[in-house]
Amino acid sequence: MMMQMVLRRIAIGFATLIVVSIIVFLATSILPGDVAQIILGQSATPETLAALRAELGMDLPAYMRYFAWLGNMASGDLGISKAGGATIASLIGGRFGNTMMMAGFVALISIPISIALGLWAAMHPGTWLDRSVTFCTLSLISVPEFFIATVLVLILAVELHWLPSTAYMTGDENFFQLMKALAMPLITLVIVVSAQMIRMTRAGILNVMNSPYIEMAILKGVPKGRIILRHAFFNAIGPIVNVIALNLAYLVSGVVIVETIFAYPGLAKLMIDGVQTRDLPLVQACAMIFCGTYVILILTADVASILSNPRLRQPK
Amino acid sequence: MKDKFTDKPTPEELQYSDLDRAGKHLVDRAVRKGFSRREVLKIMMATGVTYAAASNIFSSGQVAMAQTPKKGGSVRMASNLHGPDDQLDPTLFTSTIDYTRGRTIYNSLVQHSNDLTPQPELAEEFMPNGDATEWTFKIRKGVNFHDGSPLTADDVVYSMNRHLGEESTSVIKAVLSSVKEWKKTGEHECKAIMETPNADLPIVLGIFQTKIVKNGTTGEGNGTGPFTLESFEPGVKSVHKRNENYWREGANLDAIEITGITDPVARVNALIAGDMQLVTQIDGKAFRQVESADGVTLLSTPAALQMGICCLKNTLPGSNDDFVLGMKYIQDRERIVEKILKGKGSLGNDTPVSSAHGPDFCSELPQRAFDPDKAKFHFKKSGISSAEVFVAPVMSGIEDAVLLAQVNCSKIGFDLQVKKVPTDGYWGAVWMQEPVNVVSWNMRPTAQSQMAIQFGPGAAWNDTYWNNDRMGELLVSVLAETDPTKRHAMQCEMQTLIHEGSGMVIPAFSNINDGIADNIMGMPKVPLGQLGACEWPEFIWLA
Repeated sequence: MMMQMVLRRIAIGFATLIVVSIIVFLATSILPGDVAQIILGQSATPETLAALRAELGMDLPAYMRYFAWLGNMASGDLGISKAGGATIASLIGGRFGNTMMMAGFVALISIPISIALGLWAAMHPGTWLDRSVTFCTLSLISVPEFFIATVLVLILAVELHWLPSTAYMTGDENFFQLMKALAMPLITLVIVVSAQMIRMTRAGILNVMNSPYIEMAILKGVPKGRIILRHAFFNAIGPIVNVIALNLAYLVSGVVIVETIFAYPGLAKLMIDGVQTRDLPLVQACAMIFCGTYVILILTADVASILSNPRLRQPK
Repeated sequence: MKDKFTDKPTPEELQYSDLDRAGKHLVDRAVRKGFSRREVLKIMMATGVTYAAASNIFSSGQVAMAQTPKKGGSVRMASNLHGPDDQLDPTLFTSTIDYTRGRTIYNSLVQHSNDLTPQPELAEEFMPNGDATEWTFKIRKGVNFHDGSPLTADDVVYSMNRHLGEESTSVIKAVLSSVKEWKKTGEHECKAIMETPNADLPIVLGIFQTKIVKNGTTGEGNGTGPFTLESFEPGVKSVHKRNENYWREGANLDAIEITGITDPVARVNALIAGDMQLVTQIDGKAFRQVESADGVTLLSTPAALQMGICCLKNTLPGSNDDFVLGMKYIQDRERIVEKILKGKGSLGNDTPVSSAHGPDFCSELPQRAFDPDKAKFHFKKSGISSAEVFVAPVMSGIEDAVLLAQVNCSKIGFDLQVKKVPTDGYWGAVWMQEPVNVVSWNMRPTAQSQMAIQFGPGAAWNDTYWNNDRMGELLVSVLAETDPTKRHAMQCEMQTLIHEGSGMVIPAFSNINDGIADNIMGMPKVPLGQLGACEWPEFIWLA
């Protein structure tokens, strides 16, 4: 039963990827200018444009370029960057690692903190502790991340000189040096994603706390900690895992602002650069990675919530 | 504890070394910025130092600055633009980060000095025949590529011919179109056969894209330059090590790392925090922050970096001469330079040539002033009451300049609408397409080349479609003219033609504004691009 569901979801995932690739292809084609115009920029002349288009295979009709790309993709060949001439695999390789490393570190720090703080706040609803957590998270959700990042840089790098202002990696640093280089973007992202997860955890648990079976447990005299950890938490896992999955997917695909401010070479910035240079194979490859990440994470979250909730395991 | 008042030397004996850190900083900055002796003395005397002491400090400070270059150390440079389209192929170089890498890895035939006279580089000698229809280049012997192979005329001819011909995708194809063909005439000699005579050819050959690569390659990081390429990740960074087998004295730095920080605030922060030693493109808003920070200097080089509004002459409203004149008179040029460019710029006179071009600049041409009455008169005469300008932030301050014109237009009852569009795709979709649009042009090495690309009849980038036959004649004949007085008269005639008749409004020129760490010495000041036109890698040293 479970297996069938997973297989069906994987098939839907692939269909989603194809649809997304078509939409991205069309959207990129609608943008003014093509890769040849962008490469030559202000220096373009009709002759050099024509020569470059022929060299890049841009003189083929759009649908043929799409199917050529799809064929290569199916055989595992991501293609060559139209703008720079490097292979897409080499452009993506290092940045994929960087993005995963950053997302991994942020997840390792923020998920335990968020769940602990969320539970803690839910165990003491209405107290000054709960209120201050709620106040802080609400304020942090409302502040855009570039503001948090810029304030951190001003204080920690420009004024105090404690941390570097950019996440510049030389490639041969030890773990401590790496942590120092990544500290600023890590702190920023932990603040941004934790706030939302804390609120979701707290809300999820409090929601379950109003249900009759918890009331029953309270009447039976079960200790509060046990009620929350043993009875409420497992029923609240579904929404919590989903918000964690969405935040992780955001860490992979949506952190372009943080990557830009800290000059961190990650995938999100690469995709924006690809769009700016109309570098279709590059944009497509990034879109596939992001879309794939969403599909996998949301599937994982759904499986987790089904496993945690016996009612969902049986079809109606 | 020493009494810091009685311990001071008497003013007349005061030397550079006696100054406190802030004082040294002040003198260093002034000397390094190329302030004249008189200007530095004025600054110091304003702070209460006597004249004798001030001049003492100035001379000893100059000595301190003029130390012999030191070997060693490494720097990091952050450019304002980079991405997956970063190149190692010189014919496709389009941004400062490419130019800088080109300067570290490769060499050109000739090199620009600060005053833009061409200096021999890979060409030991270059001379034209009598009527400049042929140029002969003697190639330096004993020069090796990083892979060990020797440089010959074959490499030069191959590299230069990549800019010509139908298949060429070179970004400077149009600039080098006066050359018909490059020919090998010996193992270490080659000739440029000219389509049209060009006495300025060597100056043009000093630009960023003319780097010499190995025969049969597209560059690929194998050049004859002062640094070898250790690693290159497009859109991330590149690492360069000193080439110990360089054909001349060679670089002072051991290594250079070149990266990009696209966010202007982050770039300034990285400079001030010491993460980067050289950064390009400091925004006007950050001038004060950089100038007041410790350990860094704002490097502002006067240049003919053009801030322009193109009124296309082949369509309304630009085809109406009175509309264009109205647009020219409504520009509050003084205010643009003072307030928008924060003084780091110079007045434009609706020609692309500025005093940075040297003697070819026509200083006799009267400066057009802000005159709302004349503007009102011309707008009225044109019968046009509104127009739309397409504006993208193609250079710092250009949006503000157009908004200022909008306000001044509304005061005289003209409706100037501002249509803001993104820089992304601007050069293909808006520039040379929309009837009124903004433009920025980097400075070209000569007044003639600056005017030829933009105002030559039928030129590829004639961005106002202003075609003037007399202009076309002069652009050709000025290159063959050797008498300086006659040459200047021709230059003046061309600049006057553009000033009066073209569709180009040029209210101001911006300086090139970059930031460097205070311990960087020997910084070149070539005004053709950011950071001394990227000439620094071979020459700077760390104090």
